Amino acid sequence: MTPKFTLENLYKSFGDKHVLQGVDLTIYPGESVVIIGGSGTGKSVLLKCLLGLIPADRGSLKMDGKEIIKESAVENEARLKDIGVMFQGSALFDSLKVWENVAFRLINAQHMERKKAKKIALEKLAAVGLTEKVGELFPAEISGGMQRRVALARAIATQPHILFFDEPTSGLDPIFSSVINDLIRKCVNDLGATALTITHDMNSARHVGDRIAMLYGGKIIWCGPAKDIKEADNPYVQQFIQGLSKGPIQLETDVRDVA
Amino acid sequence: MIWALSSIGRVFFDFLASTGRLTLFLAHALIQGFTPPYYLRQMVRQFWEIGYLSLPVVGLTALFTGMVLALQSYTGFSRFNAEGAIASVVALSMTRELGPVLAGLMISGRIGGAMAAEIGTMRVTEQLDALVTLSTNPQKYLIAPRLLAGVTMLPLLVLIADIIGIFGGYVVSIYRLNFNPAIYIKQTMDFIQLGDVTSGLIKAAFFGFIITSMGCYHGFNSKGGAQGVGRATTYAVVSSSILILITNYFLTALLF
Repeated sequence: MTPKFTLENLYKSFGDKHVLQGVDLTIYPGESVVIIGGSGTGKSVLLKCLLGLIPADRGSLKMDGKEIIKESAVENEARLKDIGVMFQGSALFDSLKVWENVAFRLINAQHMERKKAKKIALEKLAAVGLTEKVGELFPAEISGGMQRRVALARAIATQPHILFFDEPTSGLDPIFSSVINDLIRKCVNDLGATALTITHDMNSARHVGDRIAMLYGGKIIWCGPAKDIKEADNPYVQQFIQGLSKGPIQLETDVRDVA
Repeated sequence: MIWALSSIGRVFFDFLASTGRLTLFLAHALIQGFTPPYYLRQMVRQFWEIGYLSLPVVGLTALFTGMVLALQSYTGFSRFNAEGAIASVVALSMTRELGPVLAGLMISGRIGGAMAAEIGTMRVTEQLDALVTLSTNPQKYLIAPRLLAGVTMLPLLVLIADIIGIFGGYVVSIYRLNFNPAIYIKQTMDFIQLGDVTSGLIKAAFFGFIITSMGCYHGFNSKGGAQGVGRATTYAVVSSSILILITNYFLTALLF
């Protein structure tokens, strides 16, 4: 089977900050992979390299067997048409109503009639548990948890075959986190999509991932089935999943995701 | 000595690099603006925000400038019995100079700063990245409509400012300085020429481009959270104000 994404020896630096230092990862069609790692380990940078928002310095990055590391803006735009992204802070457009946010791609990229796009947007909002009334509000008028749901509805509005989730539960309480995790799992299953989630929330990682990979020191240091992570014999993984302050992981307080 | 030379060289090369980045940014935005799809809703929104919502600011500025101009001109011209020239001085000053420059500076503060803040906030909250992932070019969707609205709305605002400014001068001349209304209007109409008005409108189109391009460029390239957005807003207002004053001189010399 041709992998959906193949990352080989991927490097990315910002000045003297070497964020990615030879990342190797393979993601197969239809599977949900979660990348875990501490703050500032380069998870967001890796995601943005995959999306083409940040160019990788060197290495190989393939999608469906095709090299995309040096793709043009036009090729990138075409590739992104089948990808839905849920951003960390939701990244909803303040000046548009909730339903217009969800229908954004349908109206602006697919040039669908507004009435028809609104109908689809309201269906997607219903799928994530939001009412028509919420659709008429602006993002600033709804809670953070509801904004995440809207962001999820926007990501799945065009029924993409690839979904990226950037810290989908950060800043949410455990109950809302659980709701978002269930919704992500349901959306991925319903669409039969390939999903990549980056998070440092272990509960979320176990819930939404088929496989989990851990990023540390700019490399994937462990990768395996989500159910096996508790028994992983990697001291870095054990320290991370148990949240221990002492262990082999160096706290790099001076390195942050540059995005 | 070497330290001083290297500092000057660094500043010079930084300036060249910034100019290059700005030129590429604007060239890209203009190319995107001329190629479909066109976002009509965005354009209408920008026409509304830059044009209609700026009317009170521009109108008040022009009204009081025209009034002050009439009073100050009277103070000077009455010393050598040339009060009759006040109407023409008010009209020429407003149309050729004060209308476009003052409107440009006011719009720079109102619109340029707001644009930098809005687009800058979109940058730091990943909304610009979200646009890209939603198959929408941010320059086509955000920048091109603003540039177009700036270039078309500023001349309209300046035309209105000219009329209001001349009216302000008329009100003061008639009700405070006791001029004859018919004579004042006749002197205004006799002296003012089409070229006086069009030169001001040409300046306004340039100023509109400067204000929107500075606002968009600094907002688009902002980074570093709230502080970065604040810095982008300041840069947008300061750089557009200075560029307006510099461009004004060269355009005046060209259209003289």
